[in-house]
Amino acid sequence: MAISLLNPKAEVARAAQALAINISAAKGIQDVMKSNLGPKGTVKMLVSGAGDIKITKDGNVLLHEMQIQHPTASLIARASTAQDDSTGDGTTSTVLVIGELLKQADIYIAEGLHPRILAEGFDQARTKALEVLDKIKIPVEINKENLTDVCRTSLRTKVHQKLADLLTDVCVDAVLALKQGDKPIDLHMIELMEMQHKTETDTSLIRGNISTKIIIANAGLVLDHGSRHPDMPKSLRNCYILTCNVSLEYEKSEVNSGFFYKTAEEREKMVVAEREFIDQRVRKIIALKKSLCDGKDKTFVVINQKGIDPISLDMLAKEGIMALRRAKRRNMERLALACGGDAVNSFDDLSESCLGYAGHVYEHVLGENKYTFVEECKVPQSVTILMKGPNKHTLIQIKDAIRDGLRAINNTIEDKALIPGAGAFEVTANKELLKFKDTVKGKVRLGIAAYAEALLGIPKTLAVNSGFDVQDTIVKLQEESRLSPDPIGLDLTSGEPIVPKDLGIFDNYIVKKQIINSCTIIASNLLLVDEIMRAGMSSLKG
Amino acid sequence: MNSKGILTLQFGHYSNFIGTHWWNIQEQGFDYTSHSEIDHDVLYREGVTNKHGVTFTPRLLLVDLKGSLKHLPERGELYDEPPKPTKSDVNWDSDLVEIEGVSGNNKNQFLKDLENPEESHKVLTKTYDLEKDVTVWSDFLYSRFHPRTVTVINEYQHENEHTPFDAFPLGKDLWNSSSFEDDFSNKIRSYVEECDYFQGFHLLSDCTDAFSGLSAGCMEHLEDDYCRKSILAFPVVPSFFPDSKFETKEQQCHAIINESVRVLNLALSFNAFNAHSSLFVPLCMGSKGWRQPGPKNEFNHTVYDSELAYHSSAILAAALDTFTLKHRLKSSSFSLVDLCADLSHNGRKAAAASLCMPFSFNVDANLLECLDNWEGPLTKSITPNCTIGSDRLMQYVILRGIREDRLKQQADRAEKQRNLPAYKCDSITEMLSLYLSYSTHATINNVTVVRKPLDVKTPFPRIFDEFIGQAGYVGATPRPGHINVESVPVMAGLHSGSGVGDMLESLYTEARRIKYPRFHQFINAGIDKDEYEACLESLLTLRENYMDNYYI
Ligand SMILES: Nc1ncnc2c1ncn2[C@@H]1O[C@H](COP(=O)(O)OP(=O)(O)OP(=O)(O)O)[C@@H](O)[C@H]1O
Ligand SMILES: [Mg+2]
Repeated sequence: MAISLLNPKAEVARAAQALAINISAAKGIQDVMKSNLGPKGTVKMLVSGAGDIKITKDGNVLLHEMQIQHPTASLIARASTAQDDSTGDGTTSTVLVIGELLKQADIYIAEGLHPRILAEGFDQARTKALEVLDKIKIPVEINKENLTDVCRTSLRTKVHQKLADLLTDVCVDAVLALKQGDKPIDLHMIELMEMQHKTETDTSLIRGNISTKIIIANAGLVLDHGSRHPDMPKSLRNCYILTCNVSLEYEKSEVNSGFFYKTAEEREKMVVAEREFIDQRVRKIIALKKSLCDGKDKTFVVINQKGIDPISLDMLAKEGIMALRRAKRRNMERLALACGGDAVNSFDDLSESCLGYAGHVYEHVLGENKYTFVEECKVPQSVTILMKGPNKHTLIQIKDAIRDGLRAINNTIEDKALIPGAGAFEVTANKELLKFKDTVKGKVRLGIAAYAEALLGIPKTLAVNSGFDVQDTIVKLQEESRLSPDPIGLDLTSGEPIVPKDLGIFDNYIVKKQIINSCTIIASNLLLVDEIMRAGMSSLKG
Repeated sequence: MNSKGILTLQFGHYSNFIGTHWWNIQEQGFDYTSHSEIDHDVLYREGVTNKHGVTFTPRLLLVDLKGSLKHLPERGELYDEPPKPTKSDVNWDSDLVEIEGVSGNNKNQFLKDLENPEESHKVLTKTYDLEKDVTVWSDFLYSRFHPRTVTVINEYQHENEHTPFDAFPLGKDLWNSSSFEDDFSNKIRSYVEECDYFQGFHLLSDCTDAFSGLSAGCMEHLEDDYCRKSILAFPVVPSFFPDSKFETKEQQCHAIINESVRVLNLALSFNAFNAHSSLFVPLCMGSKGWRQPGPKNEFNHTVYDSELAYHSSAILAAALDTFTLKHRLKSSSFSLVDLCADLSHNGRKAAAASLCMPFSFNVDANLLECLDNWEGPLTKSITPNCTIGSDRLMQYVILRGIREDRLKQQADRAEKQRNLPAYKCDSITEMLSLYLSYSTHATINNVTVVRKPLDVKTPFPRIFDEFIGQAGYVGATPRPGHINVESVPVMAGLHSGSGVGDMLESLYTEARRIKYPRFHQFINAGIDKDEYEACLESLLTLRENYMDNYYI
């Protein structure tokens, strides 16, 4: 996706030219991106020269897929990445608003207004817009209904409605399962696991919901590996779970390696001693297992973060113990959360109290991949979201969507507030900024007017993408906004004004806040390119 | 999977050039019979596709920038057929789906033939214009990869001067961005989990750009999670940088800045290698390496263009394949940890490598005669700024491709040879050890001999002169034009000694001359002047480990 517009000369353009280039570059990117905004936006399927496919609607991803060969464009791209990193949303809006700000600026500059004055106006407008944002924000209780609303709004801009609603439930349930009082949520405790699977009808793993193609299960925990011994049990019930970070493999160390170690005999002695050391560890596990399980209806599973070598596996297999090696570090935490018990770093004080519990542990093999399901856990404070799909690119699309949904929920929990969506903030801010403009003296007010107009870019684009006439729509929205006490947004099916709050269309507070701040800063930097260039030169000299 | 597996990690475009040659070389030489001396399971893994096809692929993870793969799909073609762009896959109103871009099929002839079942078995002996066709490493990739192998950095574009991935801290930051570390460390874990007796890691990393920081981050992770596994690291420096061909004053300015940036990256990465690897061996086909690669390393009977990564990387791959042989043999229990322990004794974490390719051996000669007439050292350093010397070394020397029956003249025709002390030797190992003990002083020599020569069929570049015959020996008459060299004998070594200390000192000296505060991209990314100073100091400390004069 090369944009011919964005093809700069290597030499530093003179100031006026630089400004013109900045404006046209920002507009160029905006043109490419605007069709993606909102639930009626286009999704792009990007095919690489090698045939790799990426499905995305995300502004940030698209921006990075473009062959950006222009410093202005990469500045905007950085802003959108920053937006994505900190909030996970609003990247398309960021690009659109920057583009609109520069478009407006272009008109005024053509009429002779100095960029510095515009930037000053932008800055005053920013402060005002943040005030408006704080005024219309709706404090919310953290409950299933509110979280569902915001998550649904976000996901419906990423995947079609039916799937969005399904994923919304999954995301909300996952977060609520983890939520404990007022403690912040660690989204890392939600594992997203993909299983690429050609046959769409295999439902052997389903727990819960089915969509046409993507099967999602909220199992306690799914590990992406299995035992490595042919004789180990593949499925156990009523299991003690030992999670540990203790090496059960014989490893040559540098101390007893190489030329400088004294004699072959001494080396051999070291080897034997080391082996015995490992065997003792394994015997400790076996002893515990025997005391707890033998003669009872109980079984034993070892999940180790370190290695387990064939000799140790063999010893464990003979006792009917299922053992997994090289578990993911994070899964050790998750296991402790899901099954209880503690991950141990040594077997010195091994006892029943270290162990966790799961009702069912079993293995599932798919091609060369093994998965181990740990289910019927005591305390499901850890969640795996399992996605099954026929091909990698759809799986990644779903995964990205789930991540967005989780971020939206998490933002809400942190903000304890929401913003009415569907352009409501932008329409309200436009109205308030125009009022504010009248109170400001001098040419700075032109900058404020420009800013107010630029914000309308969002509802305008939403209207265009839904096939409505821009001017009709904006006029209707502005009129309704003047009359209504509640912020007014756009209904994308009818083209009529609505109260988004009543329909459960919400955006995150933090996302909007970040958009306002970063767009203003980047747009101003691009406008003041002249001064920045000069400052850049002088800082080089100093 | 009873083998002592090693996981190979490749960071950066030049490392991937080297790696590509290395995997190509190994796959042309695959020998599945029980006669094979080399245990392929050390570097390769067996797998099954979802359709129950058995695969044998490198146990490899590689990283490169977006846009550097050209025709290679990220997940390879072995496990998944290339996906078709179908709108119905998108979970979105099909009217609102746009498909952009198409997979172009302007592959070079070599790749086209490789795809074509009727031609693919012939490519090894065919002639292509790869010197012209190769722009990225996948242009001459013969191996096929596991879907897990390739990781593309989407944040930076290959050869995009506006978003350069050129400074150590950029790579370090990328590693620390949670999504990269998560994905990559999980891929590492999946490979290691499969191995019953895992030895450790081979790590190749570009160290003149930000890949140096990325590999540094990765090594820290390896140290944490696989603390008793060895990391044998190869920092690599390309033998050519296009910026050195400047025409204007401005370009010259740029070149000088870039050179300094490269030295900074080298210093920072050597510091990281010292801290986190078990042993590191810098490699470069230019003899100088630091600011500029310098004059290329020359070998007898070899003609190559050091401006082509395709050429210079092939030679480094040949060296890698050879000097890593000892811990990849079926017959020995020698392992990576032994090698690293020996060569890093006394905290000498850095070592040097050397090569002789082809090992000049006349068609009708024997080893005794060959060594007797040899002038100068057997191998040449391929570690930048490093003279290996012959005094107080710890060294591993590997010779491959000379058969035992070429040891010496038979007794009835031996004539003068019988009087040479070496005539008593009964094996190549013995004779070579003897030769080395005569030609070195206070040195521990460890010799390994492997029958199998190095396979150099296509897509290995045709870099041998006309006096090298089909089997790689030196002939008196030129090789006929229609015959190509198919294999060559090679000698390579790994060495620890005072020359390595001098190399470190030369890097230190270069790095010292740079006005660090001017390099905002480093400072802004969080490596302040003090940290840089500390890095230089630790290079000096490492250098001191090579100074004592009573090594043995
Ligand atoms: N049901 C809806 N009706 C009207 N507008 C909606 C609806 N759902 C979302 N929107 C609006 O769509 C916009 C968000 O669109 P979208 O998520 O595509 O872009 P973004 O958040 O700016 O960027 P990103 O690509 O990072 O998600 C917001 O302004 C939001 O209020
Ligand atoms: Mg969004």
